[in-house]
Amino acid sequence: MGKDEKEFTATAPDTSILEIGCAPAPEILGLDTLDGPALAEDTPAEIAASHEGQGRSASPLQQQSSKKHPSPFGASMQQFRRDKRAMISLSVLIFLILLALFGPPIYQHIGAVYPSDLQGNIGPAVYHTYDHQELSKSSQGPSAQYPMGTDTLGEDMLARLMQGLLISLTVAFLVEVVDVGLGVTVGVLAGFYGGWIDTLLARFTDLIFAFPGLLFAILLSGIFGPTANDYFTRLPLIGPFLGNGNASLVIVSVALALVSWPMMARFVRGQTLQIRQQQFIEAARISGTRDIYIMYKHIVPNLFNIVIVTSTMNIAGTIIGEAGLSLLGLGVVHPGSSLGLMIADGMDNLDLHPWNTLFPTIILTVIVLAISFIGDGLRDAFDPRSRD
Amino acid sequence: MTRFLVKRLIGLFFILLGVTFITFILGYFAPGDPIKESMGDHFNPVLWQQLRHSYGFDLPWYQQYLAFLVRLSHFDLGTSFHPQQRAVWDILKDGVPISVELSLWGTIVMLMMGIPLGIITALKANTWIDTLSMGASLILYALPSFILAVFVQVLVLWIDKSGVGWPVSGWGTPWSYDWSNIQYKIVPILTYGLAGYAYYARLTRTTMLDVLRQDYVRTARAKGLHENIVIYRHALRNAVIPLITAIGLLLGLLVTGSFFIENIFSIPGIANITVAAVSQRNYPVIQATTIMVAIGVVVGNLFSDVLYGIVDPRIKSE
Repeated sequence: MGKDEKEFTATAPDTSILEIGCAPAPEILGLDTLDGPALAEDTPAEIAASHEGQGRSASPLQQQSSKKHPSPFGASMQQFRRDKRAMISLSVLIFLILLALFGPPIYQHIGAVYPSDLQGNIGPAVYHTYDHQELSKSSQGPSAQYPMGTDTLGEDMLARLMQGLLISLTVAFLVEVVDVGLGVTVGVLAGFYGGWIDTLLARFTDLIFAFPGLLFAILLSGIFGPTANDYFTRLPLIGPFLGNGNASLVIVSVALALVSWPMMARFVRGQTLQIRQQQFIEAARISGTRDIYIMYKHIVPNLFNIVIVTSTMNIAGTIIGEAGLSLLGLGVVHPGSSLGLMIADGMDNLDLHPWNTLFPTIILTVIVLAISFIGDGLRDAFDPRSRD
Repeated sequence: MTRFLVKRLIGLFFILLGVTFITFILGYFAPGDPIKESMGDHFNPVLWQQLRHSYGFDLPWYQQYLAFLVRLSHFDLGTSFHPQQRAVWDILKDGVPISVELSLWGTIVMLMMGIPLGIITALKANTWIDTLSMGASLILYALPSFILAVFVQVLVLWIDKSGVGWPVSGWGTPWSYDWSNIQYKIVPILTYGLAGYAYYARLTRTTMLDVLRQDYVRTARAKGLHENIVIYRHALRNAVIPLITAIGLLLGLLVTGSFFIENIFSIPGIANITVAAVSQRNYPVIQATTIMVAIGVVVGNLFSDVLYGIVDPRIKSE
């Protein structure tokens, strides 16, 4: 019971956001970030000593005690491992990732030979691909040939689901790479140096907060999507992967990354401001360490907690964003597949074939919930404020 | 307070300037020629030049932007590409009331569900009521509105399999509430509320629990006040402060949330106009809706800041 309560107290809004004079709307990005640990008033040594990089910078007392007790990082991991909901979610997520990566090649070897409309007799390597249409077999229920049935174009639902899953996870990964890279770089620079970088970041985040993130993504992918599709299809090496209507995933990733990194940068900045005032930074400075080395060796490792928590929360938002854009017809287009696109395709025949919409919706629900629960678990484990 | 307001208003002006610049520049650098596309097979170079000139496309970008700003300051949103020469206002005026109606009722439903639930669960903390309701809102909180909308629609269709033919798409006449209109409106509005209530329920519960632990609540109880007075007069008033700010802050989320609800339920609101405009590259309409949404969000933030200062006078002095 006590644990249950802890989870929800973590959502208390932090009024210090207003006091610092930041733009007050992290919620706009659809993230659960009001309670971001960045603005925690207490800066316990736990933060400072949360990662392997702390070895040289932590006080001798902590080094001593870390021999008897697990390190703060280890303790956090231990708590995370005890969180049943998060562990179940993690295994579900790992299963889904494996399914998306290895499911399609395996699936294309399963199944007998069936007659096709146009190509004579075809094996599973053909009809178990996500873009093979079999119009005479459209909107079927589950059968030996199509375990989850077909959609209105006679495409295999299961193959499309796995492909859609792959797209969702790819976009999430791409966005997170940009989000963490750009967010940490700008955030650390702004927090460490202040000055014009800080002002610029503050103004830019204000602007991004005023601009609902998804609307920006809609604009960007709507305007540049079709051209990108033509462009990427013509590229020599990656064309075959990115063509086929999937090219917009690059645009979608860029759009979602553009609207999500300022949030990360702002959190990192807050954390950097706190770390900068700690004595080990002062000590490093006095001993003549160069700024760049202080940032790289002493500050960045200590940002681990906040970055892992914020980015996990952001992944859920990204997956929702990608599905939403495809749902509106602005993301991945036919013959490519995406969970959002599948939902939109099924909506027209909802009364006759509800499963065509329900399957992708359920998968999306599962993946979003799993990532949110993992994020909650990570926050409970790594945010010192929510720990006893 | 005045200084704070002036400062915020100046900031707001620059933010809006930035928003107009982004929307303008996106349209300017966008690939394709919207005029050529809208002419289709009837392409005529002379007419094309004339149209380009009448839209001002033959000017350099800063002049176009300046002209755009000047028109905006006169509340002139320009003319649409598609259908040609129709005023943007004219296109928007059908959609805006519908969207406003949906968000207004949806927000009311959201607050009516979220705040009482939050209070109840805080009072019954750690009982089965609390566990059940918070478990549900945890799930609803994580899910985006379009997933809920799909589930709701499937559910309605399933319940109504042999029945009266309950409509699951469309909106009816805005701002009129006879039975057939209510039939259209009630499902999307409830979905909207359902998609957003969890945030309020969780927030209310947390702040309520915080306040209930305060000394003055114990004092109020100790001096023998009726429990209702303790809760509604002493506790709730203080718990309500973060809720007020949250309403303003959530505006952006609400706008995009209603985007998907409008899309799934085929409601001809501003979202569908925007999406249609994006796929037709109808930039004047896109610019207009983007700026309108941004103004809504910025003004909402300002509003919640001001309200915050009124509810909690300590903020004002800072």
